[in-house]
Amino acid sequence: MSRPLLVALIGVKRFIADRGDLAFGIALPIALFALMTGVFGGEASFSGTAHVANLDGGRAASELLDRLERVDGVSVRRYAKADLDDALDRSAILNGFVIPAGFTASLDAGVPTEVQILRRGNGGDAAQIITAILQGIAADLASESQIRNGVAALAPDAPQARVDATAQRLITDARADPPVRVAMQSLDEDAGGGEDFFSRLLPGMIVMFLLFSITLGAQTIVEERRNGTLERLLATRLRPWELFAGKFLEGVGRGMLQALVFLVLAFTVLRVGGPAAFAQSAALAVLVAAAASALALIIAAVARTQDQASWIAVFATMFMTVFGGTFFPIGDSGALNVLSRFTLNKYAIDAFDGVIDGAATLADRWAEIAIVGGAAVAGLVAARLIFRVSSEGR
Amino acid sequence: MGDFLTADGLSKRFDGVQAVDSVSFGIRSQEIFGLLGPNGAGKTTTIRMLSTVLAPDGGDVRIGGYSAAREGGEVRKRIGVCPQELALYPELSANDNLIFFGRMAGLSGREAKALAADTLERVGLADRAKDAVRKYSGGMKRRVNIAIALMSRPQLLFLDEPTVGIDPQSRNHIFDTVLALRGEGMTVLYTTHYMEEADRLCDRIGVMDNGRLIALGAPAELKAQVGDPATTTLEEVFLNLTGRSLRD
Repeated sequence: MSRPLLVALIGVKRFIADRGDLAFGIALPIALFALMTGVFGGEASFSGTAHVANLDGGRAASELLDRLERVDGVSVRRYAKADLDDALDRSAILNGFVIPAGFTASLDAGVPTEVQILRRGNGGDAAQIITAILQGIAADLASESQIRNGVAALAPDAPQARVDATAQRLITDARADPPVRVAMQSLDEDAGGGEDFFSRLLPGMIVMFLLFSITLGAQTIVEERRNGTLERLLATRLRPWELFAGKFLEGVGRGMLQALVFLVLAFTVLRVGGPAAFAQSAALAVLVAAAASALALIIAAVARTQDQASWIAVFATMFMTVFGGTFFPIGDSGALNVLSRFTLNKYAIDAFDGVIDGAATLADRWAEIAIVGGAAVAGLVAARLIFRVSSEGR
Repeated sequence: MGDFLTADGLSKRFDGVQAVDSVSFGIRSQEIFGLLGPNGAGKTTTIRMLSTVLAPDGGDVRIGGYSAAREGGEVRKRIGVCPQELALYPELSANDNLIFFGRMAGLSGREAKALAADTLERVGLADRAKDAVRKYSGGMKRRVNIAIALMSRPQLLFLDEPTVGIDPQSRNHIFDTVLALRGEGMTVLYTTHYMEEADRLCDRIGVMDNGRLIALGAPAELKAQVGDPATTTLEEVFLNLTGRSLRD
């Protein structure tokens, strides 16, 4: 294994071994994630079970249950009627749905029919939500049945296959262009629209914690200079550039540990996107971590004491977090907009926007990626030069 | 036997202060050489230049025939440095510390593991090898500090005040280790503020003050400059050479 990689690994190992750093670096992001998710929502993850006795067993009844099962968060448990009654009697369940015999035949004949809802008390929140969902599906089925019956009535001599095809086309058209739409607007959006938990706040938190690693990174290097390990390393066969590369990689590794906490939570708990979105978000996080690590090296090169390193890093991080649009949107003009252009956050958050929920790809964010990558390279070069001219840079 | 280390006119200035001023001396192969001096005399700066960490403003160092200025890489292959500070990672185990610095010194993973086990045995820490160093006593940490310096299998070992703040047992253990290392062919440069320590261990001693080397010789030779070598202590020699005024 190459020496820079060993330097990086020992740094990450120290980070994990230090409970204080670990709490700051890993536990704090988890706590903040939970807090922010609770406050700002994210996707509501409803989960409920529909307890159903299907006494019909026909096409329409099966279609109704299939559609119910396809609703995110709803599962269907099937019962014999006696078992459903027994479970309700024992209060083992608080709600039950009965599809009566002849349900399909009635629907096909255009005769009114019903799905019976049995419940104890109000059946609980889940039962009320599932009831509403079921009513919607039943209404859809009724409308589709009416369309089929209407088409058949208009062309009584037409072959059944043609009637079915025509009815299906009308149903498909109606679904594609419904006469009434339900539009949702998030109250978290700004005037310009599009700023919500996934597009701004979640990326903002990931970037913020990646930038917090600047403080740890800068402190670690200054601490190593103070306690003599840096000097000790310089007296080994480790070349200065190897030490420099190792410290850079250590910063990237430490930042990625924190970013992965957020990303894993976002993709498993909130299910913000699929594997491709996760992979692209992780790649983006590596880039931002690289830029943050380079900045930490600059601060470490400039600072002479741990206090200096801490204060410079905290100031830089807070400046970029506040003026980079982590907590509030920055307008398209004005002083804040000008300030935001000097922050890593602005470009990093813009780069994550859409990528994190799979709505965009890295290729769509090439300009922001180029700026963050350029900042990483420029920071690395600047830090190396400062270390070189420093009297202790050997 | 020829000099393994030769310092020739070493000088270093920091912010207008001449920390080291034209210091020249040699250390023979397999010799324990003591570098003594009051606080601020320039000992540590000298060691930093000898160990290639700090570039001198003037002069050069040759170690094992190689110039520190021009062949720093070759010099670093031959030295081990135990600084005054506890230059180790307290969150990690002694074993992890030793293996890491062994790898940095050019050992393979397998070599580093084997040498770490041997070295921890040598410094009496084999049974605590897996414990985090932060849980160690002061003396144990000092022994780990030395053990790390041995992970480069050095021909020349720099020990900068290795016995500061530790109990007599640990100090004696360090003495025994240093003498054993010399017996195995190692050359040692040793700095200390404890005169009896220098008297007991060192073959020759250099005394520095105000950045200059003001005396050089075997302990008995230095004592003879002040009085009867049989009754004169090295501390008396030291005070005679450097004066009794307090140093910061």
